Amino acid sequence: MAEFQIRADAVDVEQIMRQIRARIREKRGADYTEQEIKELASVKLEKFLDPRGIRSNLVEEFRRNRVPSPAPPALDVRIEALTVTGTHRSTLASIRSLLAPVMKLFINPNAIMHDINAAVQKLAATLNDKQTEINTGFHNRFRQREEMDSLYYEVIHNVVVELTRLSIENSNLKMRVESLSSRMDFDERRARALETVVQYKPAPRQPDRPQPERGQNDKPQGEKPQGERQHGDKPQNERAAQNERPQGERSNNERPQGERSQNERPQGDRSQGERAPQGERTPQQASAGADPQRAGLESRDQGERGERRRRRRRRRRPGQNAAGGGVPGTEANVPGQPGAQGSEPEGDYDGPDDDGPDDVPSTEGSTE
Amino acid sequence: MKIAIVVQRYGADINGGAELHARYVAERLARHAEVQVLTTCARDYITWKNELPVGEETVNGIKVLRFPVTAPRNPDDFGKRSVAIFEKTHSLAEELAWLESEGPTSKALIKHIGRIQAEVDFFVFFSARYYHAWHGVRAVADKAVLVPTAEREPSIGAAIFGPIFRGVRAIMYNSLEERAMIQAVSNNRQVPGVVVGIGSNIPERVQPWRAKRKFNLKRPYALYIGRIDANKGCAELFEYFLRYATMYPDGLDLVLAGSAVLPIPKHPRIKHLGFVSDEDKFDALGGADFLVMPSPYESLSMVALEAWALGRPVLVNGNCDVLRGQAMRSNAGLYYESFEEFAETMYALEASGPLNQVLGRNGRDFFKRHYAWPVIERKYLEMFERLKKEPSKTTIEPLPGWFARRKKNVPPAAGVVDAAPKGPVLR
Repeated sequence: MAEFQIRADAVDVEQIMRQIRARIREKRGADYTEQEIKELASVKLEKFLDPRGIRSNLVEEFRRNRVPSPAPPALDVRIEALTVTGTHRSTLASIRSLLAPVMKLFINPNAIMHDINAAVQKLAATLNDKQTEINTGFHNRFRQREEMDSLYYEVIHNVVVELTRLSIENSNLKMRVESLSSRMDFDERRARALETVVQYKPAPRQPDRPQPERGQNDKPQGEKPQGERQHGDKPQNERAAQNERPQGERSNNERPQGERSQNERPQGDRSQGERAPQGERTPQQASAGADPQRAGLESRDQGERGERRRRRRRRRRPGQNAAGGGVPGTEANVPGQPGAQGSEPEGDYDGPDDDGPDDVPSTEGSTE
Repeated sequence: MKIAIVVQRYGADINGGAELHARYVAERLARHAEVQVLTTCARDYITWKNELPVGEETVNGIKVLRFPVTAPRNPDDFGKRSVAIFEKTHSLAEELAWLESEGPTSKALIKHIGRIQAEVDFFVFFSARYYHAWHGVRAVADKAVLVPTAEREPSIGAAIFGPIFRGVRAIMYNSLEERAMIQAVSNNRQVPGVVVGIGSNIPERVQPWRAKRKFNLKRPYALYIGRIDANKGCAELFEYFLRYATMYPDGLDLVLAGSAVLPIPKHPRIKHLGFVSDEDKFDALGGADFLVMPSPYESLSMVALEAWALGRPVLVNGNCDVLRGQAMRSNAGLYYESFEEFAETMYALEASGPLNQVLGRNGRDFFKRHYAWPVIERKYLEMFERLKKEPSKTTIEPLPGWFARRKKNVPPAAGVVDAAPKGPVLR
């Protein structure tokens, strides 16, 4: 979450709430209230959801179909006298009505009707009971179904609302992911570009370099034995800026960047290699001021190391220094010159030496 | 000066909002006047059952007279009558029956008020919506000072309360919003009124580490103090907090102090302390990042004032006009109306954030300026002095006749309240 901008102690709660609401709007793209989300869920589903999957008029469909089922009808069967004598033919009906008194002389139709009705009613009651039982059963099942429908309606409605909300959140998250990935791409490209720029930057020429200020660990000129100096014409404080490292101890890490892969050397080490004056020191002189822990090894293996270094240099092809990115116009580019920058091309590197100073940047002078 | 405080329940262990308010006011006014408290024998605000002994008692040095409740409340009957009054067109007789059903019905208390009216200078009635206040004010209108403690809820729109709000000598409001609402529903602008509120007994020093150690509170937390009830907005609070906890695993915990009526969700970041002592309450409040007050209905939140007194900001429900108005006027709290706002304001108010200290400081200043006891006492005493000097201009309106009372022409109370202006009052 973003921070608030509180400029003074006199805060304004209304203003803070406006900021909060603006941020919420920014997050979700639009300022939807719960009510609006519900409206969107019921009306404009196709905007957020796949219309092929869910019908947008789902809610209306549910509402339309929710008609309660009617109660079961009761069975009522009754035979009247008119039913027995009645006919659709008017002539026959009139004759029957004329002869009805005659018929009543012989039989009592009312009694017959009554008995028949009683029997029919008894049968109807039995049937009615059975039918009512069946109807009630179905009716109850219909009612249960209708109640379930309302529950389904609630569930689906809530699902639709939640889906809408999730869909909005999903789209927002997608946008954020895109934004973050583009930022990351940009940063990567930038980092790569910066590395490339620095990697191929030509080393400044030694005579043109401005004299750096003395560092905190710089040694006053008088304190350094004269014998340790490499160039009589080089100012003492320039050495201080170079950590007063003897050039004969230049390590692999001090090789020019043009000859190295990106991973071989951190960028911070590069300046040390660039500013190193060309080696005029003997290996003995160089090892004398190295890291104290290494110094013991150096003194012990001095002769061996010097021999190995000389052997390596003999293996170098003539002219390789100039092509290998050494500092042009300096003594270091002369093949066979001890301590020359760029004098160890990648192809000729015969693995890490175990002789200390070749691998480790020397800190002569600064360790005193 | 002799003052009688009339309240529905009273006791050192009764912590309802209005009841505690009444006790604090009684104890403070006792420094300046002769104060007695008239109340019922009830302890439970739902049934009003007689649980405390009838007669005189002394509570923290204050004389308390208790009167029996004639009949306990029948919640079913009261619920049905409430629906009829709040949502349907009804008659005054139905409202009176509803008031009787609401209780606490104590005819002995009302008779006693009438009996001693000559001996007392002012009767201070707490909680306008209850039986004792309505009948008590009608018995001694020219000496009645009302502390309505009215929330924005439908009962306040009942027609029987209009004459009460217009007929008392003075009204001590809890907030600007309460005053605006009562004036809108009863048109009583001519009645002297002042927004007072209430102070609190804030300890001079709190020891948050003690509460943290006692209750094993290792992570930063937001604190809720009060009854854990759906009516207090706790259901919504739980829903929002569970979503917040899912979204922000490193966010604050929620600590609840108070008795639970609502089931509390089981979650590792929700801690329920139960009912705590005042000392624990203030210690826990001192250690909290802020107080959260989710209630949508409040006339005044005492715990919010206590939080401000301790320099803690408050997060309130924006749907409650009173709390929102106080947060805005004090510049000492934020409010929320949706989950998104809840999550953002929770984040904004964390103690490590830039707002917490500033809002807390504003809260402390706001409390000192408006709710410190000297300020509250002065407002009460000035009102009594004013009423003593001014003759009573108002008279209580008589009830309509038998037939008029039974005429169904009174609009639903909820509609009356809805029509009243809403929102916080900033000036």
